[in-house]
Amino acid sequence: MTTFFQLVVVGISTGSVFAIVGMSLVLVYRATGIVNFAQGVFAVLAGLLTYSLGKHMSLPLAAVLATLVTAVVATLVAVVAVGIRGRTTHLASLIITVGIAILAEAVLLAAFGEVPRSYSAVSDRAWDIGGVLVQPQYAVLTVVALAAAVGLTLFLRHTIVGQALVASADSPRAAELIGLNLRSVAVIAFAVAGALTAIGGVLLAPTVPVAYSSGLSITINGFAAAVVGGLASIRLALLGGYALGVVEQLVIGYVDPQYNLIIALVVMLVLIGWRSRGELAV
Amino acid sequence: MNADAVVRARAGRRRRIGTVRLLALVAATGFACWLPFQLEQGEIGLYDRMGLYALVAIGLTLLMGFAGQVSLGQGGFFLIGAYTSGLLTMGLDADTRLVDPEAGIDPLLAVAIAPFVSAAIAVLIGIPLMRLRGHYLAFATLAFALIAWSLLYAQDRFTGGQYGVTVTKRLTVGGHEIIGATHAAVVWGLVGIALLLSTNLVTSRTGRALQAVAANEPAAAASGINVARHKLQLFVFAAALAGLAGGLFSFYAQFLGPEDFGIIVSLLFVVMVSIGGLGSVYGAVVGAVTIVYVEHKLRELGTHETLLGWDLPSTGPSILSLGVFGLLLILIMLFFPHGLLPSLLGGVAAVRRRLHGRPRGDI
Repeated sequence: MTTFFQLVVVGISTGSVFAIVGMSLVLVYRATGIVNFAQGVFAVLAGLLTYSLGKHMSLPLAAVLATLVTAVVATLVAVVAVGIRGRTTHLASLIITVGIAILAEAVLLAAFGEVPRSYSAVSDRAWDIGGVLVQPQYAVLTVVALAAAVGLTLFLRHTIVGQALVASADSPRAAELIGLNLRSVAVIAFAVAGALTAIGGVLLAPTVPVAYSSGLSITINGFAAAVVGGLASIRLALLGGYALGVVEQLVIGYVDPQYNLIIALVVMLVLIGWRSRGELAV
Repeated sequence: MNADAVVRARAGRRRRIGTVRLLALVAATGFACWLPFQLEQGEIGLYDRMGLYALVAIGLTLLMGFAGQVSLGQGGFFLIGAYTSGLLTMGLDADTRLVDPEAGIDPLLAVAIAPFVSAAIAVLIGIPLMRLRGHYLAFATLAFALIAWSLLYAQDRFTGGQYGVTVTKRLTVGGHEIIGATHAAVVWGLVGIALLLSTNLVTSRTGRALQAVAANEPAAAASGINVARHKLQLFVFAAALAGLAGGLFSFYAQFLGPEDFGIIVSLLFVVMVSIGGLGSVYGAVVGAVTIVYVEHKLRELGTHETLLGWDLPSTGPSILSLGVFGLLLILIMLFFPHGLLPSLLGGVAAVRRRLHGRPRGDI
């Protein structure tokens, strides 16, 4: 039973990262209608930047700088992904972000090399709770994911900017008529989502080393988490992330580590299929 | 002239254009099949790969152009086709690992089975997804390709994992070994057949329905077209073509390893289609030829010690090809969303119109 709880604890912490990325995808999708295939790249960029900057300054400072730089990069991605007004469809935007993800791999590989990087966690001690080891890093990740979920929900519901984001996705024409600039809306959404994913990446790297090519699996796991709520619900993306993380760890612990990604992907395929009953195209 | 005669005259003209096109296609295919016998040994492999990728790209461009859906996992269907045909010729035995050539089936039969296995998987994935917005299929197909790729490692007693497996049997038809230039000729012959099938598909009743779907989905649905079924047909057709290409790939390389089937291969197919134009089957062939050639050249460039005064790391080839293809995809989708080739051709036509002073509406 201790093994089970240990796996659940680790699962919730890795699941927190999936949840963070999933919520970022939901935020961008709700504001722009774009599914950002390059979202995972932001986590990788922030992790690798923190590692490199951390050699010259204290880790917390490096982490903050890395997050800011990533948010700026995310705004650039926003401008490219939104594309040309009236010409770039949402499907074209998706393919553009696929291109950005490929290009980003090249840039990250050239800048940081191919070795997976990691650095020290917030604390190297671990709490022993009835035989279950809980690292402080896990706790931090879980709290950050929870705080992000609450913060994003409040932001979207109760701030004028949040309402603008939701409005411009619901009806781009109407939003433009009342004077919203869709490109600015997209830039804001991408920047917030980029910063959030960057925080996830910074906190992930100490437990799971990140390499230039990690972005793809991070994006996929985040998408799987977001799909639980049909890409529309922050709350369900959070739950989806936790559930996915726990399932993956249980598979690693009880079945075969080689199957963890496979199981996650199968779960996602089933979820998408299940989703398809409710939502129609067009 | 009464209306009936006009219709008949139009139909006749269309048929004549059809005949001209058919003859041109047959001639071009004949040339494409003759060409490998004139090439040098080193070039045949490259030419063969162009044909194999063209088969996959033809299917994908139909899916992207007419169903408005993008598959990021055509490499997965390619992989399934390749390992299906390769492993079937060796005989699967869970206890003694594999490699029992005596137990395997005939390579020709194995190649014929490959597209059906890919198509069956496409049906399974496609049925729940074809009614959804494009990004769901994009991620689902990507997930499928990743699952297939991960299974290569998880089931390494069959697939050889990262070390791969050697396909020992050779593809033979009536006593003739299909290798080298002959293999390339067969592949390009199939490209010709795929083009013919696709053109027919586009101009047939199904094709007109597909065009209606592509133009205005709600309107198509309102006029009684089963939109989801037509999209599924395209998806399955595309998967079958990729499976066939994979099946032939086994007896092109005579070796199956994970590097030939990574996610980047799936994404390259999307780049090929975006070069040739979404929905343009001939464009897809041009895209495949271009990308295979460019990738080959970049690989050569990447192995140099220095490039334009920069020291290249050992990862140079990867950096170059990822960078170029990523950038290409972004720029094309931004500025030529209907495809690079159609836009270029359109540009040429516009210039010519201006030179001849013809009005824009002219044929």
